[in-house]
Amino acid sequence: MNALISTAVFGIFLMISGLFIKSKQAIRILAISGVVAAFVLNIIDFRQYGASATELFHGMLSVTNFGLLFIEIILGCVLVYFLLSGKDLANIGHYTGEYFALIFFILCGVVLAATYGNMLMLFLSIEIMSIPQYILAGSDKHNLKSHEASLKYFLMGAFSTGFLLMGIALLYGATGSFDITTMNLAGRPIDAMALAGIILIAFALAFKVSAAPFHFWTPDVYDGAPTVVTSFISTIVKVGGFVAFIRLFHIAFGSPDVDKHWLLVLSIITAATLIIGNVTAVFQQSVKRMLAYSSISQAGFMLFAVIAMNVLSWQGILLYAAAYSLATIGCFAILMKMKDYTYDGYNGLAQKQPLLALMNTIFLFSLVGIPATAGFLAKYFVLSAAVEKGGLLWLVILAVCCAAISAFYYFRLIWAMYFKAGDCQVEEHAITPAFKSVLALTALLVIILGVWPGLILAWI
Amino acid sequence: MPSPSYPTLWPFLIYGILVLLLAGGMLFISHFLGERHQEKETDEVYEAGIEATGTARLLFPVHFYLIAMFFVIFDLEAVFIISWAIAIRDVGWGGYLAVVIFVAILVAVLIYEWRIGALNFGPQGKKILRAYRHKIKGVNHNEVVDKQNN
Amino acid sequence: MGIYHLLWLIPALPLLGFLILAIFGLKMPNRAIGIIGCASIGLAALLTIIIGINFLTSPPTGNFYQQTLWTWFSVHGFSPAISFYLDPVSLIFTFVVTFVSFLIHWYSTEYMRGDEGYPRFFAYMNLFVFSMLTLVLANNLLLLYLGWEGVGLCSFLLIGFWYKEQENCYAARKAFIVTRFGDTAMIIGLFLLVKNFNTLNIQDILTKAPSLWQPGATTAFWAAILLLGGALGKSAQLPLQTWLPDAMAGPTPVSALIHAATMVTAGVYLIARMHVLYELAPVVQLIVAIIGAATLLIAGFSALAQRDIKRVLAYSTISQIGYMFLALGVGAWSAAIFHFMIHAFFKGLLFLAAGAVILAMEEEHDMFKMGGLRKKMPVVFWTFLFGSGALAAIPIITAGFYSKDQILFFALASTKGSFWLWLCGFVGAFLTAIYTFRMVFVTFFGEQKKEVHRKPTNSIKIPLIILGILSLIAGFIEIPKAWGNFAPFSSLMNKVMPQVQLAAGMENKEVLLEVITGIIALLGVYLAWQFCLKSPKVLYNFKTTGLGRFIDKFFFKGFMFDQLYDIILVRPVVWLSKIDKRDFVDRIYEAIGNLGLLLNKIFSRTQNGYLRWYVCGLVLGMAVALTIILFV
Repeated sequence: MNALISTAVFGIFLMISGLFIKSKQAIRILAISGVVAAFVLNIIDFRQYGASATELFHGMLSVTNFGLLFIEIILGCVLVYFLLSGKDLANIGHYTGEYFALIFFILCGVVLAATYGNMLMLFLSIEIMSIPQYILAGSDKHNLKSHEASLKYFLMGAFSTGFLLMGIALLYGATGSFDITTMNLAGRPIDAMALAGIILIAFALAFKVSAAPFHFWTPDVYDGAPTVVTSFISTIVKVGGFVAFIRLFHIAFGSPDVDKHWLLVLSIITAATLIIGNVTAVFQQSVKRMLAYSSISQAGFMLFAVIAMNVLSWQGILLYAAAYSLATIGCFAILMKMKDYTYDGYNGLAQKQPLLALMNTIFLFSLVGIPATAGFLAKYFVLSAAVEKGGLLWLVILAVCCAAISAFYYFRLIWAMYFKAGDCQVEEHAITPAFKSVLALTALLVIILGVWPGLILAWI
Repeated sequence: MPSPSYPTLWPFLIYGILVLLLAGGMLFISHFLGERHQEKETDEVYEAGIEATGTARLLFPVHFYLIAMFFVIFDLEAVFIISWAIAIRDVGWGGYLAVVIFVAILVAVLIYEWRIGALNFGPQGKKILRAYRHKIKGVNHNEVVDKQNN
Repeated sequence: MGIYHLLWLIPALPLLGFLILAIFGLKMPNRAIGIIGCASIGLAALLTIIIGINFLTSPPTGNFYQQTLWTWFSVHGFSPAISFYLDPVSLIFTFVVTFVSFLIHWYSTEYMRGDEGYPRFFAYMNLFVFSMLTLVLANNLLLLYLGWEGVGLCSFLLIGFWYKEQENCYAARKAFIVTRFGDTAMIIGLFLLVKNFNTLNIQDILTKAPSLWQPGATTAFWAAILLLGGALGKSAQLPLQTWLPDAMAGPTPVSALIHAATMVTAGVYLIARMHVLYELAPVVQLIVAIIGAATLLIAGFSALAQRDIKRVLAYSTISQIGYMFLALGVGAWSAAIFHFMIHAFFKGLLFLAAGAVILAMEEEHDMFKMGGLRKKMPVVFWTFLFGSGALAAIPIITAGFYSKDQILFFALASTKGSFWLWLCGFVGAFLTAIYTFRMVFVTFFGEQKKEVHRKPTNSIKIPLIILGILSLIAGFIEIPKAWGNFAPFSSLMNKVMPQVQLAAGMENKEVLLEVITGIIALLGVYLAWQFCLKSPKVLYNFKTTGLGRFIDKFFFKGFMFDQLYDIILVRPVVWLSKIDKRDFVDRIYEAIGNLGLLLNKIFSRTQNGYLRWYVCGLVLGMAVALTIILFV
């Protein structure tokens, strides 16, 4: 469990070193090297675990190569995030070390989410992911909206944690076990207590991944939090929540005589998420808020992986995690360079910064799901997983329609960048050649994954 | 029950009713069982009889809460360590290692708290003076003063 | 296998060239752009030749080499691979594409000199070569379709290369829209194939098809005819031929490369590739032959009346591709590909030479304003003459004779051929000779009407000379059976393609047919000389008569197909859209849009910022869901 240990140790290390090192630059480099170290250590781990689960710490963790691959993708995305937006993160306020440390603590939670084998560990992973987010959301101390976001997120999050604990308690009451593999709900008549437990856990997780009708916090928090934090919590943490979701529901509640009970509810949640996310995003004026709603609608697509439950959905969530995170991090990185966050603020970007406009276009294409980008294949995988599952065709059709709607608000940005005359204000000094090249590499990665998904999928 | 696959509902219902009863009971029963007084002092702020003076809308130093939180944290630590101490022979070296890690994390936290000045109670004359000197030199260090004034 | 592993480099090199030019092109000097543009293609051509020699001397087992780079994705057993397939057919196409492209790129370095779009031009051209190579090397139809659309895109971009003139943009749009009809049919055909075979791998389809379908099966018919739709659009055959003459709006090297030598023959390639399908659908194959015959006649007649030198060549291209379709239709697969190769040489040459003339005449396209260039531009004249000879199929000495003659022979002698098909081809050959030499005589003989403005340089002359030589000698690799047994080309092709079935008693007639077609070609040349050079008065007088004027105009407008489509397609659509100004279909979408707006308002209302509402929503959602899960 190198990834778990290295992220935790690095978190503490950065927390302390933030007190002694005054240079923001140095701390940023430390953090980047920490991610690289975790990345490499996780690769070393990767060789030792196969497709079948290895139990660690008396079944508290159950490690598979899927989980490790997922961690690898997350660490890769975090690396990209640090390289693109590390400076913005360091410049939120005075406490640079702490910001990076909190990110590492969140990573620690994501690692747990990808490897837990026990309900208690699930609870821990969700909390370890959430609490640093509350702090990060409020880290811009001079901004009232940031405080508001933090408080709202915290209160709502506390609510959902209550659901989660209640659900776990009910399940324990029904089955007498915390272990997700030995819980064994199948093969006997299921009682209402277990069902209520399942559904409460589903709600708590749906809250974390901002699925409707538990999404209300999302636009306010994403809009209020510092942009660089939004970039992180709307990508890495969200897909972290999804991996917890998909693992729990496939492993513990996945057998056919159990899933028939919750499938309908989750299908309705998926449909509601898709519709609300897309329809509300359409008329936003602020790109930041649009991206918040877009993250809701993308969550709707990722929910397909949860309800489909087959090999394709596992592959799909891996691809989706990479495609969605990379593209959104890229979009946010460019957004942070803009002085005006509205659509009009992008007018004429193609003339001023052709490379940025082009890269942004590639990221938006990927988010829409244009072929030859990673986003297309990710959508294709999760949707065909649902088709293979059967009985979900109505949902798939709805999803395709919603993807068409999403093209509107994504392309509106491309339209603003390329076809509208205007004098957009960008922070020229922040657009360094290094930034540009990392951005270009990210865009290249998005395209490479679109034509060669084997880069990820070959490992499982 | 219409179909055999229909979930058995009664344990859940009993559970739900019990929860409601428990929560409601705590409120209601205490209402009935609790003592009631109708003396002159009942409506006073401190029933012990101490007279309240001044306004209640006074500013508390934020340190007050901080110390409360430290107490909770370090108090809970003790709970964990004592529970380990009880089972020290059963858990063996593995348990020892776990506790060492646990304590190491606490030490890290302690270093952190110390360093950010969370353990410094009350105003600090030196820092205030230094900040004041900076200020009369024209360097704005209000922030430091604000922080320390807490 | 050694060298075969480099197969992927052949398309990759032009792609690399494109990427470099697209990213850094604007900052590079023109010289460097030309070098990168040419070198990427040149290296690909060199590699093709090396691999080709290797292929001929020591053919791989089964006469094919397949290189799978990676699998795009794998879902439900459908796993399209990024994979290249090299067999004699794709080898010939790859060779022609890379080699001719290289010469045309070289030529373009001079032709496009001084144009402000220099980097853009070479970037597009490299992208085109990449797409074309993807098309011919693809081992599955999905990758082929990628190349197919890629060449369509490049064609669109390059026809409208000088986009500042409205006319060019219309021409580009027309080419795009007309071919789109065909492409739509083709993609439906691909869906049909996926549905039936659950794969798009060409070889898998070809091996599975005969066991799945009886000859003449309905599904086979539909699959074949839908793919044919794509081929007709791309190859400018009846009824989708109208875009090609207008496509001459692009720069001349583009016309040479895309609209003569390579892209327009993609349809021929597609049909030849999928030949098993067509043999399973004899009706469609007959349609192919009939369309080929009809197209070659119509285009031949139209070419007679053109004044623009490039339009003559454009119609002649349509007509020559008609010959290839005729060959495909009678099952003479090898003959079609042979004619494709020879045609690429001489038609590329003719366009390049015409380009040199146009350059010298300051963008003058009307050949009646040129005249007498024989003395001033000897190299251009002689190479143009070689190309024209090949196009007109002058017997024995030109390559075009060998390729066209074979087609005519098979049109009659094949079991699928008939006298009528042969007659069409025969008349077409006569027309070809007339319009070709009309063009030669009008442009290069007679009195000079305009000064030569810009003399061709070496980078124009050398490609012309190379192609000129090829137009003369390339035919000798396929000597008619009656003359001797030397036919390496068809024996190479027949390794992977079925041989043409001859009807009984036809073997001996080949010599006779050759003599007749030879005579008719020479007769055509003579007539052209008679009416264009010696006594043009006769023709002029005929044109002033009512009938003459009508025929002239009818031919000039390409049998009025544009006008026909205008009446039967464009006007009804415009009329319908006029009476349906407040589109009733739109109402539905507007309703959906309004519904979206309404929902948006409602949803935005829920996002009011009050935590208590959010928590209410949360609890309400939970209550509803619990009800569903427990009681539904």
